Amino acid sequence: MNNQTRYPVVVLGGGIAGIAAALELTRLGHEVALVEKTPFFGGRAAHLCCKATDVCQKCGACLVQERLKALFQEPRISLYPQTELLESSRQNGLFHLRLQQQPLVINPERCVDCGLCQEECPAATQGAIITTSVTQNHPRYAVDPAACLYFQDGSCRVCQQICPPTARAIDLEQPEKTMDLAAEAVIVATGYRPGDPACRSHYGYGRHPQILSGVELEERLKNGTGLVGPDREPPRRVAFIQCVGSRDLQHPYCSQVCCGYTLRLARLLKHRQPEAEITTFYMDLQNTGRDAPRLQAEAHREIKVVRALPGDLRAAADGSLRLRYLHEENAAAVEAAFDLVVLSVGIGPGADNAALAALLQVELTPDGFFQTSGRQQYTETSQPGLFLAGTASGPRDIAGCITQALAAARQASQYVQKS
Amino acid sequence: MSIARDLDIILAHGPELSAGGLDYYKLGLWAAGLPKSRILALNPGLPAEELAQRLQAFLYRGSEHRVLLAALDPRLRARQIIRLLLEEIRINPEFLGVLDLQEALGYPDPQACSLKAHNLIRLAASMLTRAEPIVTRELPVNSRVLVWGDSFAALKAAVDLVNQGYPVLQAFPGPAFKPLIPGAPLTQPPGEELLQLTSQAQSHPAVQLAPQARIIEVQGSAGNFQVKLETDQEVRVETVGAMILAPEMHLQPGEAAASLSPHPRVLTQTRLEEILAAPEEAKDLLGPGAPSLQVAFLGADSHPLALRRALDAAKKFLARDDCRVLLLTRDAKVGVPELEGELEEAASSGLIVVKLPGLPALSLEGDRPRFTFFDPVMHQEESLACDLVILDEVYAPAAGNAAQAELLGLFPGPRGFFQVDNVRHLPVITNRRGICVAGPARGVMGLDQALAEADAAVSAVHQLLGRGRAEAPQGRAVIDRGRCVLCLTCHRLCPHGAVSWDNRAIINELACQGCGVCASQCPNEAIQIRNFTDDQVVAAMETLDPRLTPKIVAFLCQNSAWEAYHGALKMQQIVLPLGFTPLRMPCAGKIDIDYLLKAFTYGADGVLVLGCHSDNCKSQMGNEHALWRVERARTMLEEAGVDPRRLVFRTLAANAPRDFLAAVHHLAGLLQEVKAA
Ligand SMILES: Cc1cc2nc3c(=O)[nH]c(=O)nc-3n(C[C@H](O)[C@H](O)[C@H](O)COP(=O)(O)OP(=O)(O)OC[C@H]3O[C@@H](n4cnc5c(N)ncnc54)[C@H](O)[C@@H]3O)c2cc1C
Ligand code: SF4
Ligand code: SF4
Ligand code: SF4
Repeated sequence: MNNQTRYPVVVLGGGIAGIAAALELTRLGHEVALVEKTPFFGGRAAHLCCKATDVCQKCGACLVQERLKALFQEPRISLYPQTELLESSRQNGLFHLRLQQQPLVINPERCVDCGLCQEECPAATQGAIITTSVTQNHPRYAVDPAACLYFQDGSCRVCQQICPPTARAIDLEQPEKTMDLAAEAVIVATGYRPGDPACRSHYGYGRHPQILSGVELEERLKNGTGLVGPDREPPRRVAFIQCVGSRDLQHPYCSQVCCGYTLRLARLLKHRQPEAEITTFYMDLQNTGRDAPRLQAEAHREIKVVRALPGDLRAAADGSLRLRYLHEENAAAVEAAFDLVVLSVGIGPGADNAALAALLQVELTPDGFFQTSGRQQYTETSQPGLFLAGTASGPRDIAGCITQALAAARQASQYVQKS
Repeated sequence: MSIARDLDIILAHGPELSAGGLDYYKLGLWAAGLPKSRILALNPGLPAEELAQRLQAFLYRGSEHRVLLAALDPRLRARQIIRLLLEEIRINPEFLGVLDLQEALGYPDPQACSLKAHNLIRLAASMLTRAEPIVTRELPVNSRVLVWGDSFAALKAAVDLVNQGYPVLQAFPGPAFKPLIPGAPLTQPPGEELLQLTSQAQSHPAVQLAPQARIIEVQGSAGNFQVKLETDQEVRVETVGAMILAPEMHLQPGEAAASLSPHPRVLTQTRLEEILAAPEEAKDLLGPGAPSLQVAFLGADSHPLALRRALDAAKKFLARDDCRVLLLTRDAKVGVPELEGELEEAASSGLIVVKLPGLPALSLEGDRPRFTFFDPVMHQEESLACDLVILDEVYAPAAGNAAQAELLGLFPGPRGFFQVDNVRHLPVITNRRGICVAGPARGVMGLDQALAEADAAVSAVHQLLGRGRAEAPQGRAVIDRGRCVLCLTCHRLCPHGAVSWDNRAIINELACQGCGVCASQCPNEAIQIRNFTDDQVVAAMETLDPRLTPKIVAFLCQNSAWEAYHGALKMQQIVLPLGFTPLRMPCAGKIDIDYLLKAFTYGADGVLVLGCHSDNCKSQMGNEHALWRVERARTMLEEAGVDPRRLVFRTLAANAPRDFLAAVHHLAGLLQEVKAA
């Protein structure tokens, strides 16, 4: 196309890795386009809770906050929300990216984040209006054309009508846009998909309200929606089960973050409710941060750490959940009752990895993550000028994502300067 | 008077404010009546050109404008206006006050909403009209960089730096480079790429090598450090603008080794690797006709990279069909890429992995080592004689890091590594500007991550040193030389090593991070932090409006509490106590006891001090200083007959707006108790 916008670097994915890479690129003197599939920036890490007891537990979640703030104030980063990659080709070293942006129905200058549109939308439960709890985003509401009735058959305009006359922020007639960007380098930071908590079917995820995935527990603690046991009191007996969606035949790798977030969340729950009894069932405890021995020693003092993965879970008549496992010392079968069971899901490859890899002509690992290659094995790919950052290339924590993002930014910057 | 100088107020749009209960038209009229003030109501949704025209028309007169931009969620909704003000009209960032009016919405009584809005505007105006510009000034810096260590991360940093035009002094303790490949057998030769890196570092004319070196003294700060180096030949002083620390780790005997005396059948991992790499010696273990063996690897659970080394050697025995190979370990540490798969593969080719709560006891039976332990899987006491026992080794930080950290003015890191365990420093910075850490300096990690960190550290140095010039904000922390009595409290307390002295204390502008820890502790009140001066804080407290109750003065650290406060404003249906008065502080460490007491004399019912959680302070100790001062102030209040419960200190994180609300409600609750009593 002729009206092509050109950027030195285009970053795909607006999670912590993509944001960190984009910000670093501006510091190295480049203009950047940041392309995010959803309407909101921050990715998954923005939904993680602070795990500090009175002392910071070094989970890194708060690092997202300041970077999000910087992102929204950085004029040299052009934000492309609700945008996906449609086609990609390369000519004379330049990447030609065709992007599709969903109609941006809600005008950020006018929206007052009142939430009326979501309250009144008849298709809200189908996800026609999506919202985020990450308050740095504005607007915090967006229309998803895939579920919105107006975009299906024009039958509804409720949100546009209900949007307060003082705001008038909704325009359903906004067009979908196709854009062509040219880029000298591309950074893929499209992130991960959390492990499926239902993949270990014997834990019965989805059958009992008292079984949560790690992601859900994080969100509940972050949003203050609270936890209740079967008797409507805060749960007193809590179990975490490790390695759900990791280290099995389908996922033959360790997700690296779940041991760490579990121990921190367990300590947080114990801190908030000292009489709670918390048990973690695990296979092997991984190193959980820069001062892992200290964290683990503290965790052992406060919570029960059991080396066994429960064989089954059943709901008892009193509303509790019974877990059966083998006792570590005498191998006898033991049953224990819990009010809340948390499945510590890990990090799975991003949903779009295969499609993106095909478009960008790079390889995936056997596990489905983007394959690093070349000289230094941590951010380069087999496609010169294409770099990786964050969990797109495999499990890593927030700190690891940021490190790799800084490295990718530098490599991309050098690549751009050379070409 | 709260408004000290001319002020230009921009009310960015408004109809949406009315929806929230705030009559913006009236608000505009009220603001127009303020002394020394002019007001412009502006719709932020206008096209950029029109916005620019209107702003220019409004600000046509004079060259120095203090602009207060009040709006709902101004950072996002009025993003364009902010950008135009800063980039087109070029007002000094310190002269732009951005006020979120959200807090004034949502009170059931419209009168309350407008009073609150008035108060917020007055509060912001009182600080802003006393603001001083901060000009950045280019300072000459030394563009030479000291790279400390000979790890691959250090070598990469050195090579990348010289390629970017920064001369490098590479100092390291050994006589020659001896970098490790973490997770690989010690005998494994480095690949082509790594060899190239080594030879580049060795032969590049811009890399000056200082082998057998020791850092014995460091003076100066970012942009201009004087490092006293001792080598086997001389002691010399070198000037550098920045440092990257990446000293190599070394291997230490693991825990099991301590209980054993040397024995021919008990080998360290290193010794085993040496044997396996020497064909003559290896023959006896692995060659045709070698006796069948029972080999036990012990431990290898300090880090996945230790396990990787053990597996690498174990595989050689497993390749023989008649060897029985065991791994007795507490945890299979597989948290690095691909290691889980490798462990599974080894297990399927015969490796027996026994996981135990503790490492087993070892005794000698004849000339064979024997273990006894309780096997949790077989559920029985096991006794196991071995032909060969391999003791694991632990990757440990370079010796002397701790002493060096002290020399360099760095807060110590965990277990002998550099870089304090505080997420604010991630990934590669330290409490001192100009000193970066990478790879094995800050922890055990694979080569991929270590090299990525080298990249990040080089970028950080490049951003500081520019091409021999660095931009420093001028006069952010200012010492009144007439008042300074050279007690050097500031020098001792500055977490960022920014204070030196001649006949008075001097603050290095490049190194100073403006936290204000020095200012609040200086016994002679000789230090002021620009735009957080004592005058400004007092002027802000003077705006307390008796009609708004309960009057809560909140000192909010800008790195955590201030963010959490803004996050809270954006939550649905949040209403803060009418008299809540937020004051932004550069760090909780800036909060002076005086402020706390003065707040009460200006009529506060309660005072809230909110800082970062312990270990999460950007200046490491600011929150602790705040806590001590709050405790002291409490005692003083009690002595003065004021209920000390009216002063509350809490910590929270930037991403925890609910903790912010909880703290406010906690204090509001206490105030009711106090009132009732
Ligand atoms: C339950 C749980 C708890 C955790 N707790 C911690 C913790 O305490 N500490 C810690 O350090 N780590 C923790 N982690 C790990 C942490 O979440 C990740 O390290 C981090 O979020 C990864 O960031 P990212 O940017 O790589 O990916 P993401 O956060 O997944 O961001 C990727 C972004 O790319 C976008 N995207 C996806 N596909 C496309 C596409 N095709 N085009 C454009 N954009 C696209 C996504 O919408 C998303 O915004 C936890 C993980 C889980 C599952
Ligand atoms: S626990 Fe996590 S989110 Fe909370 S302050 Fe520490 S690093 Fe930040
Ligand atoms: S980090 Fe822990 S829970 Fe997660 S996959 Fe690895 S071993 Fe299992
Ligand atoms: S303001 Fe902070 S960084 Fe600056 S000199 Fe004072 S204590 Fe040091």
